Amino acid sequence: MESILINEENIAILKEITSKYGGRPEGLIEVLHQAQEAFGYVPKDVQAEIARGLNVPLTRVYGVVTFYNLFTMVPKGRHTISVCLGTSCYVRGGKRIMEHVKDLLQIEDGGTTEDMRFSLESIRCMGACALAPVVRLDKDLYSHVTVTKIPEILSRYS
Amino acid sequence: MDRINSPSDLERLRREIVAQSDPSETRIEVCLGTGCLSQGADKIVAAFRKELEERGLNALVSGIKETGCAGFCENGPRVAVYPEGFCYFHVSPDDVPEIVSKTIVDKEVVGRLLYVDPVSKDVFTTMDDIPFFKHQTKNILRNCGKIDPTRIEEYIEKDGYRALSKVLTFMTPEDVINEVRAAQLRGRGGAGFPTGLKWHLTRISGGNPKYIVANCDEGDPGAFMNRSLIEGDPHSVIEGMAIAGYAIGANKGYVYIRAEYPLAVSRLKLAIERARECGLLGNDILGSGFDFDIEMRMGAGAFVCGEETALLASIEGKRAVPRPRPPFPSERGLWGKPTALNNVETLANVPLIIRKGAKAYRKIGTERSAGTKVYSLVGDVNNTGLIEVPIGTEMGKIIYDIGGGCKGGKRFKAVQSGGPSGGCIPKEQLNVRVDYETLDQLGAIMGSGGLVVMDEDTCMVDIARYFLEFCLSESCGKCTPCREGFQRMLEILERITTGEGREGDIERLEELAHIIVDTALCGLGRTGPNPVLSTIRYFRDEYEAHIKHKKCPAGVCEALFESPCQNACPADLDTHGYVALISEGRFGEALSLIRERNPFPSVCGRICTHPCEFKCRRGETDDPVALRLLKRFVSDYVSVAPKPYQRSSNGVKVAVVGSGPSGLTAAYHLAMMDYETTVFEALPVAGGMMAVCIPDYRLPKYALNAEIDAIRELSVEIKTNQRLGEDFTFDDLFRQGFKAVYLAVGAQSSRVLGIQGEDLEGVHKGVRFLMDVNLGEKVELGEKVAVIGGGSTAIDSARSAIRLGASEVTMYYRREREDMTATDEEVTEAENEGVRFRFMVVPTKILGEGGKAAQMLCAQLRPGEFDSSGRRRPVPVEGQEFTVDVDSVIVAVGQTTDLSFFANEGEVSTTRLGTLIVDEDTMETSKTGVFAGGDVVRGPATVVEAIADGIKAALAIDKFLGGSGKLVEVTRKQARIDEIPFDLEAEIVEQRRVEAPLLPPEERVLGFREVEQGYTLNDVIEEAKRCLHCDRKLME
Repeated sequence: MESILINEENIAILKEITSKYGGRPEGLIEVLHQAQEAFGYVPKDVQAEIARGLNVPLTRVYGVVTFYNLFTMVPKGRHTISVCLGTSCYVRGGKRIMEHVKDLLQIEDGGTTEDMRFSLESIRCMGACALAPVVRLDKDLYSHVTVTKIPEILSRYS
Repeated sequence: MDRINSPSDLERLRREIVAQSDPSETRIEVCLGTGCLSQGADKIVAAFRKELEERGLNALVSGIKETGCAGFCENGPRVAVYPEGFCYFHVSPDDVPEIVSKTIVDKEVVGRLLYVDPVSKDVFTTMDDIPFFKHQTKNILRNCGKIDPTRIEEYIEKDGYRALSKVLTFMTPEDVINEVRAAQLRGRGGAGFPTGLKWHLTRISGGNPKYIVANCDEGDPGAFMNRSLIEGDPHSVIEGMAIAGYAIGANKGYVYIRAEYPLAVSRLKLAIERARECGLLGNDILGSGFDFDIEMRMGAGAFVCGEETALLASIEGKRAVPRPRPPFPSERGLWGKPTALNNVETLANVPLIIRKGAKAYRKIGTERSAGTKVYSLVGDVNNTGLIEVPIGTEMGKIIYDIGGGCKGGKRFKAVQSGGPSGGCIPKEQLNVRVDYETLDQLGAIMGSGGLVVMDEDTCMVDIARYFLEFCLSESCGKCTPCREGFQRMLEILERITTGEGREGDIERLEELAHIIVDTALCGLGRTGPNPVLSTIRYFRDEYEAHIKHKKCPAGVCEALFESPCQNACPADLDTHGYVALISEGRFGEALSLIRERNPFPSVCGRICTHPCEFKCRRGETDDPVALRLLKRFVSDYVSVAPKPYQRSSNGVKVAVVGSGPSGLTAAYHLAMMDYETTVFEALPVAGGMMAVCIPDYRLPKYALNAEIDAIRELSVEIKTNQRLGEDFTFDDLFRQGFKAVYLAVGAQSSRVLGIQGEDLEGVHKGVRFLMDVNLGEKVELGEKVAVIGGGSTAIDSARSAIRLGASEVTMYYRREREDMTATDEEVTEAENEGVRFRFMVVPTKILGEGGKAAQMLCAQLRPGEFDSSGRRRPVPVEGQEFTVDVDSVIVAVGQTTDLSFFANEGEVSTTRLGTLIVDEDTMETSKTGVFAGGDVVRGPATVVEAIADGIKAALAIDKFLGGSGKLVEVTRKQARIDEIPFDLEAEIVEQRRVEAPLLPPEERVLGFREVEQGYTLNDVIEEAKRCLHCDRKLME
């Protein structure tokens, strides 16, 4: 597992985040959100530091990180492809889109390409159900996606 | 903005804002909800700014307002220009210059950007008249799509915070609770618990501080009501929460909002800040002494957080694991203190109730559940989006009047209500008035309001598996029933969908489901089995098809079929095989492959209803492959049917009664299995309905007779003018040494309308009329012909009447055009040939002169309530009867069987409708040795279904007589179809279907020449190459 807190800068960033909730266990999820936003993932050393800062046991932090889908302990690719498999998207062909992307990139759901360009995840619902099937790439939402549109969409992200 | 210090300050401010806004000013509104944003709406705003700046037109426009979602998501991005109210859809930044020139400057409408109703083709300039909006009642969503959610001034202008002001000035907390109780407000998150009662229980609990928590976790896939509300009108929730806090005695509120809603998060954050700035949140609100503030908490991707105790745990920074209740959160909630947890939609109702009063609020909705509900209508429906209707609205109205019916003309199958905790509503129940209790009774739930529409291409077993997989992956894992039970249920469903279903699986699923429902710890577990129970309740036959017959009728479970086209063919034709051969120009082999199962490729290639094409995956890109025309080509091109292997006889005699498609197909296969087969036909010609009911312009006699002759060549004897019951009986057959009989006499008796005058001269029965025409009898129709009906027989009657010289042929059908059972192609060609149509009409009387039909009295119909067919039952409109002059009337309203040939009643078991009952697997009737299939069993059905029955019967009879009962299929292997190469990497380029020529209408009506001309050689290969090879699977 990679370490994040290997330089002064990162250590400082994390300290700033945890200081807002110093000693308050209830802020754990907020802190984890911000840490993941800053670093991209939350490995063990970051979790340990958060545990110290919030005064909670490391096991609690670990439990929360592994419980919630959004948090990850491994680095993700430069770009995240989120294929929605919510009911509306599923009924409108989301599964086939997912299979196609998996085929194209040769990775599984939850995996990352070898060159660290793309990470793939299936998510349950983005709430854009009227525009199914929906795929999100980083912060961009693509609607009414078809198998033929996928290569072009991916080509926009290096 | 300055702090608002008192209720009178607020009123003054409101009046100022109202005074400042001039409705006659030109302003542009652009929807910036997540949906439209994803389609580039922000670029449209930028384009407007640029265009106005560059052209120096900034003075003309008072502003560009960025609004929230109005709900018509399928048609975004949306731009509206006021004061005219012109509303444009599917707008792109490139359209902006034109909008500025035409609408802003010239005050004219840009026609091409207006909304056109896909069915009625009406054009709408403003939003409110569009059926999608007209049928809605926007109360909670009143501001969404109309105001800029980032500006608190606009909320205040629209009576915002007036309710809070009223509460703090004139009402005690108890007054508020009583008002909400009187309003019969029920929780909109799913369970429908009375909100007022919840607040009351929280208020009277001991313990301080108290908390109000707003649930915006909205995890149900398919639901985005809460998201849109917060994005479009966040202050309505803030105001509702503040009032709730006041009522229960809480000074702190939390909004728990999903991380997957970044825009909603930022809009709410901004709204809270603005409210604080104005003093509408914080200390001493409006000088009342009441303190209240709100903090936001983000979710982290756990569906279970929608469950109240799990949500509270998450706010406390823990894993979202539910806990047993009692004690309920109203007693012990956040950090052990009394907490009221309400869905954001519930809270948005509160200001309305306070402002209008409970009595006025209760005017909408049902007795027990007042008000409106916001639904997200998504899935296979035309108008996907966000809607709001009174509780108690008919489901059919939601799906059809607002939703516009299913996309692509597909048939509605079911609508899932309530997400993974809910159940499906099938078409038989579309008249349900959507309410908490009524849905409960049907095995579904109201849930948060997500309605996912599913069409005929959805497999309900697969859907059950999908929901179960979801619940299992979202299970917190704490209790055994949910954690282990769902796992076991999922295993069973996975077996079923991969062809490993076993006898007893359905019962096992039901048992497990009931145990989990009874013993799970929280709502996720208790309701997770609902989709399974619900799909078993309404679609049990689909489960049985998967388990018993290893078939997936919808064509979804890939392990159970090779290609969707083959799966859809009732006769199980190797469709992808012959398409591959045709693409290689190997026509002879293609024909052999087809004829291995179907002895009538020429017939089917002309008149089949092609269920295969409706499932062709190519249709999802552009057009389905023209499978029917492909089949026709090879049967025309290969002039001599290749001779089958040397026939020998095994000496066993089998009789077939009826030489229609079913009987002759059975005879064909029996002969191929070496049986000595004799066919008995009552009419003077062979071919059944194919010969006497389908006119030459669709099926020329030479094409049909070539294939019948090919069957004769197998030494099948066809004896015409032999009527069962008159010229011979069953017993005769057995006495003559036939060991088995296949009864395929069809359903040729015409149904009657049952109206006065039907027995007059000049009133014909459809089937009889076509028979007469086909057999060369002279039929005098006169000039004005009325045809009653909507199926193939009616259309053929009309088109034949035109060819016989009638100058005015009109078809009268009791439903709408899209309900006609004739194919689209047939109806269109009838129109092209001059047939007129009148829909929603039914004749009530035929009046005669001198014993001959002269006039027809008709009733105009309108769509009434939904009936068990899932359609609106047509009912007569009072006072709108009318009369038409007629020379002839052809009645073609369906057929029934004629079983008068049975010697005694009950000799063979029949249904109430008069069709024969046969064993599902052996096709044997209740009389030993007598088998039946085709229309006489199914009722009036299609030719391809009759052929399918013929194949099945031949094999069943073979088994009955000691054979293997298996069809020998060698052509696929011989032709090495699986080795036909194709480019795996090729990108799918859009390429529409190759057109096949038709005879021009003016030429057609001069006689009965064949209308369709079929493909040329080059065209047929090009068309066959459009196939996507769905049957090919990658070998790892």
